[in-house]
Amino acid sequence: MIDQLRQTCRRLLDEKRVDVVIGYGEGPVGGAAIPVFIRQAADADRLIWNNRCLANLTTYLKRPEVRALGRAAIVVKGCDARALVVLEKESQLAREQLYVIGMACDGMGDPTAAKCAACDAHVPAGCDEAIGQAAESAPDARYAELAAFMKRPPAERMAFWQNELSRCVKCYACRQVCPLCYCERCIVDKNRPTVIDTASTLKGNFAWAITRAFHLAGRCVGCDECTRACPAGIDLRLLNLSLARAAEESFDYRAGVDPAAEPIIGAYARQDEENFIR
Amino acid sequence: MSEIITAQALRALVGEWLAKGRPVAGPSRVKPGLVAYAAIAKSDDLILDGFVHPSNSIKEFFFPRCERLYGYRIEGRKIELTDPPAPDTEQIILGARPCDAAALPILDRLFNWDSRDDFYNRRRAATTVVTLACATHDQACFCTSVGLAPDATEGADAILVPAGERRYEVRALTDKGRALFAGRTESATDAGRACDGPPVRFDAGRVREFLSANFESPVWAELTMRCLGCGSCAYVCPTCHCFDIEDEGARAESATTSAGVRVKNWDSCQFRMFTQHASGHNPRANQAQRQRQRLMHKFRVYPERFGAILCTGCGNCTRACPVSLGVAGVLEGLK
Repeated sequence: MIDQLRQTCRRLLDEKRVDVVIGYGEGPVGGAAIPVFIRQAADADRLIWNNRCLANLTTYLKRPEVRALGRAAIVVKGCDARALVVLEKESQLAREQLYVIGMACDGMGDPTAAKCAACDAHVPAGCDEAIGQAAESAPDARYAELAAFMKRPPAERMAFWQNELSRCVKCYACRQVCPLCYCERCIVDKNRPTVIDTASTLKGNFAWAITRAFHLAGRCVGCDECTRACPAGIDLRLLNLSLARAAEESFDYRAGVDPAAEPIIGAYARQDEENFIR
Repeated sequence: MSEIITAQALRALVGEWLAKGRPVAGPSRVKPGLVAYAAIAKSDDLILDGFVHPSNSIKEFFFPRCERLYGYRIEGRKIELTDPPAPDTEQIILGARPCDAAALPILDRLFNWDSRDDFYNRRRAATTVVTLACATHDQACFCTSVGLAPDATEGADAILVPAGERRYEVRALTDKGRALFAGRTESATDAGRACDGPPVRFDAGRVREFLSANFESPVWAELTMRCLGCGSCAYVCPTCHCFDIEDEGARAESATTSAGVRVKNWDSCQFRMFTQHASGHNPRANQAQRQRQRLMHKFRVYPERFGAILCTGCGNCTRACPVSLGVAGVLEGLK
């Protein structure tokens, strides 16, 4: 797979089809692979592919520094590719100007990341070029962890979130790694007047986590990058699962899965149920 | 001759401190898979081995991520100010990494520069820091590149040095440190020993020369393209100390009365908002400039102004970085 990936990279750059290939390179020994930006065919051998390619590189498509590099090709996994579908639906992406290299994936991380157990996108959809083959696996129930959590009494769940969010330092790594957090000016950066407490008190942290969750409702594709990036180890995945389940159960919608489906936040239907808001 | 304390006796001592109501903080498993410095409720909560560096630093015990400066209430033309609780609570930090404690004398210079930061200084006076020399290091560690070592004593009141199975040599360094362990150690003939230091990863002197000569250089964009612009490096750093002052919780009680608090919050030069002007202009318009700023501050400006590198080589910036960049990730690339 690596050879084919590097060949593709060389070809795209040689043919001047793209100006940069955004892919994975060797990171710290045993650690996560790091994002690399290949601009010359001779550097294509810096690209790697293994089970440490955790990052969702689509987040770089929003960064002005990367946009300035020119036309891009991007290496994605099945979970990452879903972000491209949402970005296109939200008019953030000129899909025809992007070359998408989809890598078949048998799961990332050691031990394997939580999201991979429920993965049903081992082979990315909607790519310009697909590389490799992945074994079909019977995915676990998507919301198993959430269902177990929701069985706990409300007071216990509240105590859990208080404990988790008490550690938030407001570094905004969750926002920065998120491909769908692309607001030109995030609500926490609005200071005329300040909308959300900037202090990382429990009140300020709840305000941030809840606001971000609501803004990602029906949009989050479940790549879990926020959870991986959090230096305080906050289980944001659980919050995201809750949103995803609401979207799926109430609207039969999963963000980024069906390019033809109208985004639930952007579409209106008279038969929309409201019984999940209580 | 050396003074030794067993792990068991150390835990008993910590239990006594807690029983007397003296707050103790140290490395603690705050959730499965995550060791962080935190206040502990019982001596068994303290983790003394099996990890390289906690996910945060000890700076928050001196410079909390959010600090109330005062409360205010405005009624017509009358302004009433209220003081926050005094930051004088005695606290003991046990098991800090030497690279965390070493940040304290560095920060002392900043917080006693053009004005004395009363909050920081009072917490500093009320705190006793006991470090634990390292028994191991990982590939993110680079204390030896900034002149420190796994058994560095800067900023510590006492240092515990591993001396075989569940024993520590106690080296008291200040009166505060001596007071904590007086009469609690046993004399022995063997001495503790820390691990060898991590390999030197860059020459700090040459880094400074490079920074002085290369404010404008394409390497900044090259080396930092993957930076995502979050503040995790700064917030897990023992020496990063930037803050913002905000009025929060402001509420109008009536047409003529309002009240709120003025708080000091951590801030990071990696955020675009850090230098955003009211006009819309931003003197640090891209991430490469923000990364350059972070390194300039640590390896050139701070040494020039305060005579110390603003980095202790703890490696937390790289460990926390979602894309494994951090200080060393950039500086190694300057070679």
